[in-house]
Amino acid sequence: MNTLSKRTLPTLVAMLALLARIAVAAPPAPLKLPDFDALAAKAAQSVNITLDSNLLGLAAGFLDSSKPEDAAAKELVAGLRGVYVRSYTFDKDFVYAAADLDAVRKQLSAPGWQRLVGVHSGKEHANVDIYVSIEQGRANGLTIISSEPRQFTIVNIVGSIDLQKLHRLEGKFGIPKLQLEENK
Amino acid sequence: MSETPALKTEELLTRALAGDAAAFAMLVRAQQRSVYSLALRMLSDRQKAEDLAQEVFLQLHRNLASVESGEHLQFWLRKVTVNRSIDRLRREPRFEALPLEAADSVACEAQDADPLLLRRLNSLMKQLPAAPRAVVLLRYQEDLDPTQIARILSMSVNTVKSHLKRSLSLLRERLGETARSST
Amino acid sequence: MSNDLEDSLRAALRPVDPGEKFTAGVMARIADESRRTMRAPRPHTTALRWTSVALAVSLVIGILVARELQLRRTQRGLEARAELLQALKLTGEKLDIAYRVVNDEEHAEFTKDSGV
Repeated sequence: MNTLSKRTLPTLVAMLALLARIAVAAPPAPLKLPDFDALAAKAAQSVNITLDSNLLGLAAGFLDSSKPEDAAAKELVAGLRGVYVRSYTFDKDFVYAAADLDAVRKQLSAPGWQRLVGVHSGKEHANVDIYVSIEQGRANGLTIISSEPRQFTIVNIVGSIDLQKLHRLEGKFGIPKLQLEENK
Repeated sequence: MSETPALKTEELLTRALAGDAAAFAMLVRAQQRSVYSLALRMLSDRQKAEDLAQEVFLQLHRNLASVESGEHLQFWLRKVTVNRSIDRLRREPRFEALPLEAADSVACEAQDADPLLLRRLNSLMKQLPAAPRAVVLLRYQEDLDPTQIARILSMSVNTVKSHLKRSLSLLRERLGETARSST
Repeated sequence: MSNDLEDSLRAALRPVDPGEKFTAGVMARIADESRRTMRAPRPHTTALRWTSVALAVSLVIGILVARELQLRRTQRGLEARAELLQALKLTGEKLDIAYRVVNDEEHAEFTKDSGV
């Protein structure tokens, strides 16, 4: 793991922008997310979302294009094949073990997946790792693993995840402006 | 042939159509002689004739609304009776054979002529095919002219006349043979 | 001879009255038929009635089933929409952390393993 200096930021952002413009190849299969039932029983709050392509299509049908939030989501979801989220929040620190996420990390070490960035936020005591799936030089999947003392979250998005569109969702879902370079 | 005057028949028709069973019974009483006799001489069997004649009146009861007048009633009854009889003869050819006792009893109704001749004529009627037999019956039992017979049997007047001519010729011939054989 | 034969035929074929019993028989059969008609509707009427009832019931059931399916689909669609928005919100939150860390190098550290 290399610590990056401020000068490397433009490079990272440029790469994100490049990924956003790359046409999407056949997406990878969804990650096999472990059965977190035991942790769910201990969790104060849990989120378990499984949206395959059919459900995404159904959801898209109920998005109201006249609402900015819905319109943005509709545009983003168009190229997606699946959205899978597992998120558990606990009342106490470290109810879960880092090993609980190993099964997911192991799948992400397989060919095709690459770790794009990993950050540690001292403020939130959070570690966030972002992975992208690359197939023949094309990005077709995104996985985020976020671990905090009282929460861990796994987001697995299969399909064409357009980071430019994510960028444009700023303020709508709490997604920050990534300062991606616009297409020339 | 009806014993009920035309006006009265139409009044009975109206009342029967309104559901008056007694009125319908009077209509039956007035017409049953003609209907039953046609059936009897076509089928040559009292029981079958009675059954067929009753069916004709049942059919009339169901179709009263279509009967327009007393004259139409008689036309309707004759037509239905003869057609049903012909159909029955076609389905059950054994009816062609007239039981001797039936022929005798039918002939006994006539009392003002030679009983042997009348019995012989009734017996010879069974030898006529169904259509000519119906023509002869309508002509001499019902006293209808060839035009009326043609309407009832749905055939041309010439055909009716032809059937009559041949039938009379046949009957005359057979009667002559009987006379010769008896002398 | 011809007139004699015709007269003889008229005599031989004089109508015969079947008697009062015949009239009573006809009326009895009519009464019997009326009773049967009142007691049991004609088969085709019954069949038609049952066919109509079956069609009406099928139509109502079809409408109810279609409505129920539509309701379920709407409910599932709204649930899927809510889940999608929640998933995007969570994604945004986690990306936000990464963004803030990347843009505030004094308070954070981040690693880049990818050769992309």
